[in-house]
Amino acid sequence: MNNSKALHGCVLLLLWPFQGTTGSMAECQDPGSTHCTISLEKLLDRAIQHAELIYLVSEKSLTLFEEMFIPFQVRIPLTQTGNTCTTSTLSISTSRSEVQENSDKWLLHSILFLIKFWIDPLVKLQTSLDRYDNAPMALINKTKWISDKLMNLAQGVTILIQKMLGEGAVMLEQNNKSLADYPVHFDMLESVLRDYSLLACFKKDTHKMETFLKLLKCRQKGGLGCSLL
Amino acid sequence: MMWRDVGVTLILSLILPVVAQGARHTPPGKPKLTSCRSPDKETFTCWWEAGSDGGRPTTYSLFYHKENSETVYECPDYHTAGANSCFFNKNETSIWVNYNITVVATNALGNNFSDPVDIDVVYIVQPHTPENVTVGVLEDKDGPFLRVSWEPPRKADTRSGWITLIYELRVKLEEAEEWEEHRAGQQKMFNIFSLHSGGVYMAQVRCKPDHGFWSEWSTASYVIVPDYIPRERSMWILIAVFSAFIFLILTWIITLNRSSVKHCLLPPVPGPKIKGFDQQLLKKGKPEEVFNSLVVQSFPPRSTDYEDLLVEYLEVYVNEKQELMPEGKDLQDVGCLKSKSQSDNDSGRGSCDSHTLLMEKCGGVESKDESSYEEPELLQGQAGSWERLERGDSQVVDTPDSSDGRVKTWPLVFSPSIHGSSDNHHYGTLEMPKQHSTSEITYSVPDHLFATSTSFPHHHHPEYRDSLGEYSEYRRSRSPSTGVAYHWEAQHHPQAHSNFNIRNLERQKEATGLGLPPSRSMEYVEVQKVNQENQLVLKPLSSHGRDPFQVQFGRAGVDYSKVNGVNNDNVLLLQRQREMAEAGQYCDYREKEGAEAERYPTQQQGKTTKDGPVATQLQESTCLTTSGYVDTAPTMPTF
Repeated sequence: MNNSKALHGCVLLLLWPFQGTTGSMAECQDPGSTHCTISLEKLLDRAIQHAELIYLVSEKSLTLFEEMFIPFQVRIPLTQTGNTCTTSTLSISTSRSEVQENSDKWLLHSILFLIKFWIDPLVKLQTSLDRYDNAPMALINKTKWISDKLMNLAQGVTILIQKMLGEGAVMLEQNNKSLADYPVHFDMLESVLRDYSLLACFKKDTHKMETFLKLLKCRQKGGLGCSLL
Repeated sequence: MMWRDVGVTLILSLILPVVAQGARHTPPGKPKLTSCRSPDKETFTCWWEAGSDGGRPTTYSLFYHKENSETVYECPDYHTAGANSCFFNKNETSIWVNYNITVVATNALGNNFSDPVDIDVVYIVQPHTPENVTVGVLEDKDGPFLRVSWEPPRKADTRSGWITLIYELRVKLEEAEEWEEHRAGQQKMFNIFSLHSGGVYMAQVRCKPDHGFWSEWSTASYVIVPDYIPRERSMWILIAVFSAFIFLILTWIITLNRSSVKHCLLPPVPGPKIKGFDQQLLKKGKPEEVFNSLVVQSFPPRSTDYEDLLVEYLEVYVNEKQELMPEGKDLQDVGCLKSKSQSDNDSGRGSCDSHTLLMEKCGGVESKDESSYEEPELLQGQAGSWERLERGDSQVVDTPDSSDGRVKTWPLVFSPSIHGSSDNHHYGTLEMPKQHSTSEITYSVPDHLFATSTSFPHHHHPEYRDSLGEYSEYRRSRSPSTGVAYHWEAQHHPQAHSNFNIRNLERQKEATGLGLPPSRSMEYVEVQKVNQENQLVLKPLSSHGRDPFQVQFGRAGVDYSKVNGVNNDNVLLLQRQREMAEAGQYCDYREKEGAEAERYPTQQQGKTTKDGPVATQLQESTCLTTSGYVDTAPTMPTF
């Protein structure tokens, strides 16, 4: 808890260019601009801090949801219930070696894809939580906060792509498949299970984003430890 | 036959164990996966424990499949991690993927599956302990402190950011019981302050990934802190010396002022100030003697002392024509005749018996004096006593036992309220208005009249002249003899007074009525004595004929002045009158004014003024009557 708060504070204290406030530094929102003075390292640091914070908050949200809605005897692994994370079906490398083999481009695009994938399900999760009678306010606030921060992270990664890959604004089409995979269940138990699996999968995916970003930073710094040897 | 049975039993006994032995072999018991851990998020190991082996050699195998495939794999490495373990290397470890792991126990008779366990490598990370934990003592301006430093475990790749570790350390003195724990975050160094000098400290460090389990504590590192005298201790020594010094000074001062301190802390208990009270007698335990000594035998003055008493004549007006005069008119008549005097001393509270209230009824007559207030009552009292005198009674007027020698005591003398408002009818005759603390009526009631003890007259006079406090004190000193509690100091008994007044008035109404026309006939009553019950024994002069005391006043057809009031200086304010036979014109107003004008300066002088000025004032008055006679004033004993 203290770590998340400290991280949160650090993030808020920093000049966050993704939010349009750069203080003394010029903003880097203009794609063709060459006057951006924020270094790539700083940008990556901020992105990493964002991702870490989102991960911690999602972990807490999952714990809250578990305590509130999932009794002990039901806490069976998700795979046994048949609900698997949709994103795992996508071909995202899963071992460190595989991850490290991937290029920066692949990493960045994966991150962006994941972010964009989760924006809509989180909104749906919020509406679902509102339908519960006794959803704790902390949980609802956390999910709202996650949605906001995810948008910021999306902007940041977009800028990183522009900077690192030199590409223009990348507009990934909406993955409609995501909407179909999370149908609305009006049955309470189904709804609870669905939301639980949604939170768990989101937590895992944020960890992925965080790891990818850290790898990118390690590569940016240079050094032999980042690559597989 | 018998041999056959024995053989069968022998064979059976041989075969049965063998058969039984074969029956004890069972399929293996159920194994159980105890834990899976990953030290670096790149590899992981799972351990299990065996169930019963069923008597046969049992083999264990681990199978798993990943969450999104049905392909079942077997554990690649059973040996690296030890017995009953399975080690997954880097190539086989996938993160963010759920593994479904099952252990199977197999023996010749069968096999048994354990419960499956789902794990995700990301969430089972438990790193090794931090390495190279070093502890050192460094010096600072505030004193020495410990610096603990360490390195991350070798396997955890924190440099690339693959794992983010946070650290925690704990220190304690070697002989202490409890550890002092500190969170160090992601840093690899920590300072510890506030050490005990000359002790041996030990420190340990552990770490944890941001999502995972805590590692084990590292092995303890020891360090010896050298001796030193901290500046805090010297400061405490200074403070102790300084406070001891101050304490010594305080003690010295207190011993110098022992007596005053003792007086301040333990105020002396005031002893009894009862005149005539003998403490020795009390200590002897004879209360009767003590109280007897307080009783003044000579009070009230008996008839034998009669010659010593100066008797004043009271003017009593009886209006036989006005039997049923309304009360209000009485008051008005009485009150309006009065002249002004000072404001009553009820401190503006407007007590019921405040004479100013009475004055207000008069309207135009300005009246502020208590003396004027007192007079109507007095007159009424006189009337009352007149009534009794007419009946030929020797009235017994209750007087307060306050042996007030002064005229000042006159109100007290007459106030039956002191006694608790009993015998109101008797009291009604002579009750004076409420006793204002500074009110004085210059009636010539001599001290001797009320002397109750030999010591009283001498004691009280100075008290009277003095402050009210003594005055009241005097009162109190009298109380034991009479058994009545006095609370005179600036107190009023308005209720009793007013009651008395009303009663008096009523009685007067019932009786011959009261009026004070100048043309009334007058009778004089003289105070004969004060009896034991503190009652004034009056006798009408007419019945007794001329008294020697009357000689001084004795002129046939002499006129007497009415007392207007009493001022502060024990001065009777008398009222000049024309001939009684003449029409009721009083020269009082002029005289009053003059007297008042003269009086004021004297009032300021306090209570030591004598009656002389009064007489002079009266003599100087321009309104002289032919036979104006002011009695009492020159003859008043001065105290």
